Amino acid sequence: MLVRNIVQRGLCIPLINTILGETMLKLSKIFTAGMLCLLMTTIAYSNDLDAFVGQKGILKIAGGTAHIPVMKAAAELIMTSNPDIRITIAGGGTGVGIKQVGEGLVEIGNAGRKATDEEIATYNLSMVKWAIDGVGAVVNPKNSVTALTASQLQDIFAGKIVNWKEVGGEDREINIYDRDSASGTREVFWKKALNSGDVAKKANVVVSNGAMKTAIAGDPYSIGYVSVGHIDATVSPVALDGVVPNLENTKSGSYGVARGLYSLTKGEPAGLAQSFLDFLLSPTGQQIAKDKGFVGVK
Amino acid sequence: MRRIIEKTVFGVSWVSVFLLVTALFFMLAYLMHRGSGVLGKGLIFGNVSPIDALLLKRQVFNGLFPAVMGTFALVLLAVAFAVPVGLAAGIYMAEYCHGWIRQVLTVLFDILAGLPSIVVGLAGFSFTIILHRAFPGRLGPCLLISSLAIGFLILPYLIRSTQMALESVSLSLRLTAPALGATRLQNIRYVLLPTRLPDILSGVILAIGRAAEDTAVIMLTGVVASAGLPRSIFEQFEALPFYIYYISSQYTNPEELQMGFGAAILLLTVCAVLFLSAFLIEQAISWRLRRY
Amino acid sequence: MKIHSGLPVHLFRLAALGCGFLTIAVFMMMLYLGWPLLTSGQFFVLLSQNWLPEQNIYGIYPMLTGSIAIAILSLCLSLPISLGTAFVAATLAPPKFRKLVMIMVRFMAGIPTVIYGFVAVFLLVPFMREQLAGGSGLNILTASLVLALLIAPTMIVFFVNGLGNVDKSYCLAVDAMGGRPIQKLLYLQLPQAWPTIIAGIIMGFGRAMGDTLISLMLAGNSIAVPHSVVDSGRTLTAHIALVIAADFASMEFKSIFACGLVLYGFSVIVVILLRYVTTVLLRPQS
Repeated sequence: MLVRNIVQRGLCIPLINTILGETMLKLSKIFTAGMLCLLMTTIAYSNDLDAFVGQKGILKIAGGTAHIPVMKAAAELIMTSNPDIRITIAGGGTGVGIKQVGEGLVEIGNAGRKATDEEIATYNLSMVKWAIDGVGAVVNPKNSVTALTASQLQDIFAGKIVNWKEVGGEDREINIYDRDSASGTREVFWKKALNSGDVAKKANVVVSNGAMKTAIAGDPYSIGYVSVGHIDATVSPVALDGVVPNLENTKSGSYGVARGLYSLTKGEPAGLAQSFLDFLLSPTGQQIAKDKGFVGVK
Repeated sequence: MRRIIEKTVFGVSWVSVFLLVTALFFMLAYLMHRGSGVLGKGLIFGNVSPIDALLLKRQVFNGLFPAVMGTFALVLLAVAFAVPVGLAAGIYMAEYCHGWIRQVLTVLFDILAGLPSIVVGLAGFSFTIILHRAFPGRLGPCLLISSLAIGFLILPYLIRSTQMALESVSLSLRLTAPALGATRLQNIRYVLLPTRLPDILSGVILAIGRAAEDTAVIMLTGVVASAGLPRSIFEQFEALPFYIYYISSQYTNPEELQMGFGAAILLLTVCAVLFLSAFLIEQAISWRLRRY
Repeated sequence: MKIHSGLPVHLFRLAALGCGFLTIAVFMMMLYLGWPLLTSGQFFVLLSQNWLPEQNIYGIYPMLTGSIAIAILSLCLSLPISLGTAFVAATLAPPKFRKLVMIMVRFMAGIPTVIYGFVAVFLLVPFMREQLAGGSGLNILTASLVLALLIAPTMIVFFVNGLGNVDKSYCLAVDAMGGRPIQKLLYLQLPQAWPTIIAGIIMGFGRAMGDTLISLMLAGNSIAVPHSVVDSGRTLTAHIALVIAADFASMEFKSIFACGLVLYGFSVIVVILLRYVTTVLLRPQS
């Protein structure tokens, strides 16, 4: 299903339009076009997936939860093309990613922030940045509030503004959703959007970007924050000082609450981990990242 | 006055039964209502044909197959670890153990039975850390650790059911074989265990149910949301109860949520079947006892 | 013959002692990994402090109160229903119906915890948010309601056993005097069975304290000390599940062993209380 999506949206159409534009016009039969399309994608993929040919074994990935959709899609492509490779993906948050890869429990640890110099030195980590991502405040689509100033946002999260009517919404109490302190998404949002201010202790705590989105989508009076890549129709982004957190604004730099998405290995990447990281930076990998709502780095 | 109390207690009692039945009914009806739509082979195998999936020709990405197999492997391993140990310990407690050791062990097994499963999970996790420090780079949270921890969790149930089964053998039956010159071990092997096998079996089945449903232990010891089929005991794995928990907090679209409901019905069915078989075995026992 | 019979017995003993040893080993392991906290005398400080990781304060007081609040509230909700159901299942109903109720109760005991939680997330939480408590619907009351349902079967089985253990001759005497079932229950069975009922309550409380998933899914997991039943709260068990993700070397991570030790200590207390109740109070009356 997913493979097909990427094939159709991500690769096939650009290919048809650019490289094969003229040839394609001549081929009038839709059936033939379909066949060729399939053939072309196989070729395009095999280029980026070539590195995995002949490899086998298991690759364990853990950490940042913003990364998971891209990791899953990449893993599915790789495992489909080469059944000898197995990739397991666990969440946990940036803190877990850095620690587990440092301890050697996983081969790749994902981080939603730059690893600190101390972390890099302690564990001899090497870092690859493969996408840029914003972190935006989100509310339920039923909520009429779609824009807040930075100070309003800070007051809401600090528990000073407790009712939606104080910022122009319904007369209902605001339910704050927060992440645990091991989260990279939280760290970026806390530093850059909340200006390292207080977060109310009564905030509900969820475990991942996915869980945050699900919680906000289910609670009409909630506010939380997710990676821009996770924003879809089920939640509505809140413009911060007039700038909407979305792909374009993150890309152009006008939305400032942004960070890189990193994958770390212990020492220089080797074997499967290296191929996997190369794949993330390949055109196919970057296309997956873009499809999942992140800004590519290439 | 007494009449009033009697009447109130009578009324309240029936109301509470009614409440309990309603709660159970609502829960099951809601599950069926939301989940019955996805029941079918697509729920387990996604868009891969069942034969291909079972023969490991193709991997299943959008079905419950990996989670089902993960739970299956987990329960199988846990039972393989725990049943021999649990039965042996139960026999020892019932037949050989006396004095202060018996007292101490009984208390310890009671503590074990009462330990929150997350504490057992934490112990499994700590064990992994200690192992990892001792042998760097080799061992992390994995199927082996999870099944050991789950095995540990179900041990007290096994010990207790075996012990109680053996202790409930009537004195006359217990003394017959030794009177004819059998050793104690022969008595256990040829008389006590065979007569009480159904009880022990129903204890084992209930322990399997416990192993299949527990989430807290595996959450800390190696279950992940996405791992594919379990192929080695040193790898992480997927499991049904964790999948249900995971979906409840982070489904991304209505289809995934539907799958969650499907998974819940599936797990409930597994547990219901286990419950039913344990129940039938018990019925058979009591029927046989009545005949004697 | 003797030589052959020796080995299995040794194996039996090994298994039993091994299991006992493992139980102690679990405690030791947590003690070992949480040791840095204990030596510096911080353990008791942790029990009384708030959880403020940003200020390097890793107290588990809010979780302790959360655990106790949820356990007590669920017990209060569950006790009347469990007692009532036990009355029906032990005496009040006709024998056929009694059996049916017990089958249902035991089936409920077999339903996976995660399913209770799963259904509650989609059924009870929105109801709580829109109709009852407001807020996010994730609060102590929500978790306690579901937990009450979860611990009811455990307690009912205990209660029914206790009520049924009354000497047959007494029951027959009441029947012979023309006593109605409710009278038999209130004036004969209940006074006789109260130690078992207390044992059942302790057991139910223990289960409620030990449950992870329900509170993790439904209580909201906030780190504030709860002040009302509709506040969001976090239990010790949920805290372990949430913080297990943290950096191994951090104090945050070590604090979960403090939680583990508290929970372990708590189960020991439950066992001791149970033994006291069943051995001392339940001595056969001559």
